[in-house]
Amino acid sequence: MARRDSRPRPGSLEGVTNYPKGTDMIEVCELTKRYGASVAVDGLSFAVRPGRVTGFLGPNGAGKSTTMRVILGLDAPTEGRAAVNGQRYQQLARPLHQAGALLDAGAVPGGRSARNHLRAIAASNGISARRVGEVLGLVGLEGAASRRVRGFSLGMKQRLGIAAALLGDPPVLMFDEPVNGLDPEGIHWIRGLLRQLAAEGRTVFVSSHLMSEMALTADHLVVIGRGRLIADTPIAEFVQQGSSSDVMVRTPRGGDLAGLLAASGAAVTAAPGGGLAITGLDAGQIGDLAAAHGIPLHELTPRHASLEEAYMELTRDHADYHAGLPEQSRKAA
Amino acid sequence: MTAITATPRAPARPRPARARDVLASEWIKLRSVRSTYLTLLFAAAAAVGVGYLVTHADATHWATMSASARAAFDPVGDSFSGLGLAQLAFGALGVLLMTSEYASGLIRTTFAAVPRRRAVLAAKAAVVGAVTLVAGEVIAFATFFAGQQALSTHHLEVTLAHPGALRGVLAAGFYLAVTAWVGLGVGALIRHTAGAITAMAGAVFLLPQIVHALPAPWDVTIGKYTLDLAAQQTIAQHPAPGYFGAGPSFLIVAAYAAAALAAAAFLITRRDA
Repeated sequence: MARRDSRPRPGSLEGVTNYPKGTDMIEVCELTKRYGASVAVDGLSFAVRPGRVTGFLGPNGAGKSTTMRVILGLDAPTEGRAAVNGQRYQQLARPLHQAGALLDAGAVPGGRSARNHLRAIAASNGISARRVGEVLGLVGLEGAASRRVRGFSLGMKQRLGIAAALLGDPPVLMFDEPVNGLDPEGIHWIRGLLRQLAAEGRTVFVSSHLMSEMALTADHLVVIGRGRLIADTPIAEFVQQGSSSDVMVRTPRGGDLAGLLAASGAAVTAAPGGGLAITGLDAGQIGDLAAAHGIPLHELTPRHASLEEAYMELTRDHADYHAGLPEQSRKAA
Repeated sequence: MTAITATPRAPARPRPARARDVLASEWIKLRSVRSTYLTLLFAAAAAVGVGYLVTHADATHWATMSASARAAFDPVGDSFSGLGLAQLAFGALGVLLMTSEYASGLIRTTFAAVPRRRAVLAAKAAVVGAVTLVAGEVIAFATFFAGQQALSTHHLEVTLAHPGALRGVLAAGFYLAVTAWVGLGVGALIRHTAGAITAMAGAVFLLPQIVHALPAPWDVTIGKYTLDLAAQQTIAQHPAPGYFGAGPSFLIVAAYAAAALAAAAFLITRRDA
């Protein structure tokens, strides 16, 4: 389904103010949230736009869930603001028609049946019991609708939480770590669902701490660490930057080789710890060039940084907790 | 994959939120869990059962009772000897209506669906109030009739037409509903089931006992303002010496419910969910 196509430049913050005020989108502006002395979110600004899946990426404890709670009006921001469809969430009339969210699949009381759980949520926004049946079918839970939620697997609870988010058929959807605890079939299903929701023109905002997951589903990334924005970029650009490869060369005649390489159009930089990092020529070309000029090579190693490593590199200094690995092993390609 | 929408999506046309919808939601929540029915059943069994046992015992021992005990005997109040247990159950019902949502995390879904949190609290108070008032009065009348049945073996019973009897029975049912409201308010303030039930039980049961143990005249001076001792005066046929009469005591009882809910309404918008 086609939607309005007046999208501003992806990732530009100026767009937040130029955009025809926040239709079908999420805006976060200079958001800070402190809990006592600890800062969960620190001056965060970004916008989530319709028609694509935006991944919200960051290590555990980076402030993703806090940001989502503030967007939903559950936590009050210490400073700054968040808006859904151009309004503070609390000002939305019947908010389930405008934004649906899955925050924590486990947050369902066990004593109620899936259908009654959804009916209670639906009723609060004037949504019919018929729509409850529809969303149960949509997530494949119609067979378990009368069962009490207590006996549900985590995967079934995820589906139930997604059903609740879809009740109001909202143009804006937020999911906090929706693939956690899912089996491969469930993960496959949810990827398809996210893509479909975005293809229908909805704003889809999905948090994850797994780069690999986002690489498969997201069109755009908002990366945060320690509550601060690290990147707000199309995934294609992130992949391009992240998956850069080079060739590591060690030679006693570094100066001579660097000159020859530069003359052949390669980019040469001194690698930390000695040696040259070369881009623009592959290992074979470099080896041939060195051989032709009689330059001995002690090492010739093609290096490929994966997307996962690019993400690790990007967020390393922003992770609250990480294992105390030696510098070397974290950098190894 | 099935389409998410059954019909083509129209632009979101926000209709104003209605109180009726929030009430419907809370009504579904209350009636769709087994604990609601179990709690009310337990309360009924405790109030009627204990009331019957105590009145039966008093009737049996009537012959050996002292003259002063006979003079002070209140056939209405006596039949409500098991009200405390019923209250504990009603209070827990009110507490759980709030704390179970905090415990499971459902409260976030609830507040995301209805950001006007006071509307949620008001709907919960209305729904639990209606249910506990009806259930409370049914239990109160059943308790009264069971007790008078037990007393009738020694011709100690009174009828509803007896002065103060009907008022006492109605007040007992109302007191049960008030306990549920106090529980709801305390549940919203404390947000943890165990802590809230402890606080509720302490305020309703323990505090009057402590006050009652104070040296005179403080036991009465303070005691007449405590929830349980004030409620006793609304149920008793004659107020105890030094205590307020049924009318003012009724207002004190109602004020406890109002205060608990007002404090909850004050804090509920001021804290992160």
